[in-house]
Amino acid sequence: MRSLRLFARLVPFVLRQLTRRPMRSLLTGAGVALATLLFVAVRAIDAGVSNATEATAKDTRLIVYRANRFCPFTSQLPQHYVDRMRRIDGVVSTIPIRIVVNSCRASLDVVTFRGVPDAEFERFVLPGLRLQSGSLDEWLRRSDAAMVGTALATRRDLRVGDRFNAAGVDAYVAGIIDSDEAQNRNVAFVHLSFLQEATRVASSDSGTGGFVTQFTVTVRDPEALTRVAEAIDAEFARDPAPTSTRAEKAFVARAAADIVEVSRFAQWFGIGALFAVFALVANAIALGMHDRVRDIAILQTLGFQPRVVTGLVIMEGVLLGVTGGAIGALGAWAVLRAFQFNLTTEGVGVEFPASLSVALFGWCIAAAIGGCASLLPAIRAGQREIVSSFRAV
Amino acid sequence: MKSEAFIECRQLTRTYRRGDVEITPLRDLDLSIDRGAFLALMGPSGSGKTTLLNLLGGIDRPTSGSLHIDGEPVHALNRSRLAAWRARTIGYIFQLYNLVPVLTAYENVELPLLLHALPRRERHRRVAEALELVSLSDRHDHYPRQLSGGQEQRVAIARAIVTEPPLLLADEPTGDLDRASADGVMKLLARLNTDHGKTIVMVTHDRQIAARAGQTLMLEKGQFIEVEAVP
Repeated sequence: MRSLRLFARLVPFVLRQLTRRPMRSLLTGAGVALATLLFVAVRAIDAGVSNATEATAKDTRLIVYRANRFCPFTSQLPQHYVDRMRRIDGVVSTIPIRIVVNSCRASLDVVTFRGVPDAEFERFVLPGLRLQSGSLDEWLRRSDAAMVGTALATRRDLRVGDRFNAAGVDAYVAGIIDSDEAQNRNVAFVHLSFLQEATRVASSDSGTGGFVTQFTVTVRDPEALTRVAEAIDAEFARDPAPTSTRAEKAFVARAAADIVEVSRFAQWFGIGALFAVFALVANAIALGMHDRVRDIAILQTLGFQPRVVTGLVIMEGVLLGVTGGAIGALGAWAVLRAFQFNLTTEGVGVEFPASLSVALFGWCIAAAIGGCASLLPAIRAGQREIVSSFRAV
Repeated sequence: MKSEAFIECRQLTRTYRRGDVEITPLRDLDLSIDRGAFLALMGPSGSGKTTLLNLLGGIDRPTSGSLHIDGEPVHALNRSRLAAWRARTIGYIFQLYNLVPVLTAYENVELPLLLHALPRRERHRRVAEALELVSLSDRHDHYPRQLSGGQEQRVAIARAIVTEPPLLLADEPTGDLDRASADGVMKLLARLNTDHGKTIVMVTHDRQIAARAGQTLMLEKGQFIEVEAVP
């Protein structure tokens, strides 16, 4: 406690030392801020991928896709499959969904329409959504109405009453919805019949009405997931449009595999960013100690104990880490929050969340690395012989 | 009743190694200094004056022998205890002032007080008193670069006395000053000795400056060769 109070009294002294070479401290702080920003952004990508592939996918849900098809553009299943699926033992509900995206490739600005029958939307989808603005009545009344997720609405600057067009679908914003599931925050829910009709008109082929992209099947018992999936695929194996059924988690993980690879690659940038923080602070502190051999000797002469001198130098490193880290972490948080980045591939969206806990983690890491980076020069400063220090300058 | 000396050195030896060469600036030195003395150390370069001052100040350690100051076995203290002892006992005045350039006069004087658990108000009172004593009350907010050499040395003296140590050590305190400033600094040291009871040990090359002390010890090759007492 006494030591804490002592170091608290010495904080202004440490701050004054950091202003001794303002340009050096500024550049070091800026470097730490940039590296922390990069680190927090990478952590956000990682958190987004984890969130998409693990946290929000349900253990009781299956996704039924057209066999050997991996993109909403090419997965077409007859809507009437729904009745046969509902008869399979263990199935609780089946939602036929038509998915239309304006790009099947991994992109930061993909608009995803999910066409869902009205009854299924009200019964199974709506309970997981929170209406931010607009009304359900308006959505039910208008055939071209869309319930737009908050992330998509923010990215496209959409408000209730606006019209927007993507992938040849012209929709009216009837409501803005939020959800705990990242997938729902980045889509526009529209009427299935409307989407089938809109894409039939928009496409030049013979028409896609009566077809859906996938079925979302909820099963009663998570243990029965594999059995039900196999039963569904067996049911449609001899049909013109055979199915491929996977657990939602596995489906999302496969669809997001490219993003997971990107995320793994980005992890190296995150580690590199931490090394950058370490190198920047260590360099600044080492140069500072070189400049201040005499000042350290003065402090020792005045009675500053080795541990106090060591503590002062570590405080400098921590303050550089804290200051630069705070700017970087807050900057990353603000950028992620402002731009609501969302990488979508094959219709599966991965949101990069602006999480305060991730920013706080980045900030703490920057501060800790600042302290670690200054440890060696700090110990050396504390152990220097006073007389030889005075002789050296 | 026999009174114990304030500073007691016995067989004090300091040996350095520079490469293969062994240098012994102080050899088997015996010295006793009474409390309240004002002592000048003189001698040619390399005679061991500064080495003796550094040993007395606890910023260097003897190779052998004993050193007791105010009853404390300074030679036997470890680094941390020695630092704590310096903070309590020693006020050090350097030839080149050695103020911290990024701190104001006030902050430089306050620096050693930060080691002590004193309320801010008490710290302020002591700093103000010390700066008043060296006649620099109007220079609180000046940085060292904004002060003359004489003023910088007076700030250094204020820093040395602010913790109220019983022993002041001065290494050529007037060596970098003009005659008028040197005279001011010497008057101040004399006042600290007579009015405030500080024991002062001062290294100087200047006979006139040495004459202002109560006693002068001449050192040569690490040994005392002469003692002059001012009547």
